[in-house]
Amino acid sequence: MLELALLVVACGLATYLWRGLGMLLSGRVNIESEFFVWAGCVAYALIAGLTVRILLLPTGTLAATPLPERLLACAIALVVYFVFRRNLFVGIAAGFVALVTLLAIRSGV
Amino acid sequence: MRESIGVPSMVLAAGYLGFGALANGSQFPLWAALLSTVTIFALPGQLAMLEMSIAGAVPVVIVITVSLTAARFLPMTVALLPMLRVPGRASWRLYVAVHLLAMTGWAASMRRFPELPLEQRLPWFVGFALTNWVACLVFTAVGYALAESLPALVRQGLVFIGPLYFVLILTGETRTRYGVMALACGAVAGPLIHLATPQWSVLLGGLIGGTLAWGLVRRRQRA
Repeated sequence: MLELALLVVACGLATYLWRGLGMLLSGRVNIESEFFVWAGCVAYALIAGLTVRILLLPTGTLAATPLPERLLACAIALVVYFVFRRNLFVGIAAGFVALVTLLAIRSGV
Repeated sequence: MRESIGVPSMVLAAGYLGFGALANGSQFPLWAALLSTVTIFALPGQLAMLEMSIAGAVPVVIVITVSLTAARFLPMTVALLPMLRVPGRASWRLYVAVHLLAMTGWAASMRRFPELPLEQRLPWFVGFALTNWVACLVFTAVGYALAESLPALVRQGLVFIGPLYFVLILTGETRTRYGVMALACGAVAGPLIHLATPQWSVLLGGLIGGTLAWGLVRRRQRA
């Protein structure tokens, strides 16, 4: 328990580091420099890779759901999201309803 | 404060609801999920921390990875600060305030600050961000509690909101060429590397996918 608490706090400090550094370096760094472009790319790739991995190869609760249902629900959510002019709520609600419905159909409820 | 209860905050609430549900689905303790909302207060970092600690990654690697997801805060703070600093006023308040800096509050501040007198900006920012912070804590707990009490079918749907939130927001809100390329490279690299080494996949996927995307776009711009 203590280990987990320390880990979470350390992650918090590692996040604050960039906020605090931004304060210190304000006016002294060029934020359009190549380094920040690269760091932005890494952050985007990291979170995209993690998200797709959770969809394709989930652990925990989602591991009990079949892959085709997850992908179909995700596709439905994306379509609805864009049809409703990138309305995140409608998109998420559609994905939620789609997955629950598909799973109910499969299990014959 | 009233402004902070608008659409961007509702979006954030949905994200934290999904995060709470995902934490429950992964048997991650509620107190640790809440602590991460207090100390990290950045959803991508929290998701990376959650998934990596479940996968049994080495703590140092988790901290480095979370830190990489947060590097965006540096340019954001640098851009915001000149509009916030009152000359001659002690800066420790600012050091405390920037902990609450996240995408939503930053975007709102960049829009709103030019209309506000200099002295009112910090109180406005703190009010906005603090409201968001508390709301995110509440929604982490609500997502967690809902996922615990509902029948299995609905629970799976709730946990699904965690990744779905990012799928939608990343595909819908990424505009730059670098961003789009990084999403594509990361989406391929992350799961592939996961097959080889689950504990390292988040960090390596980001570094390899991101660097590849950066190199590809740069080369095309030069050609």
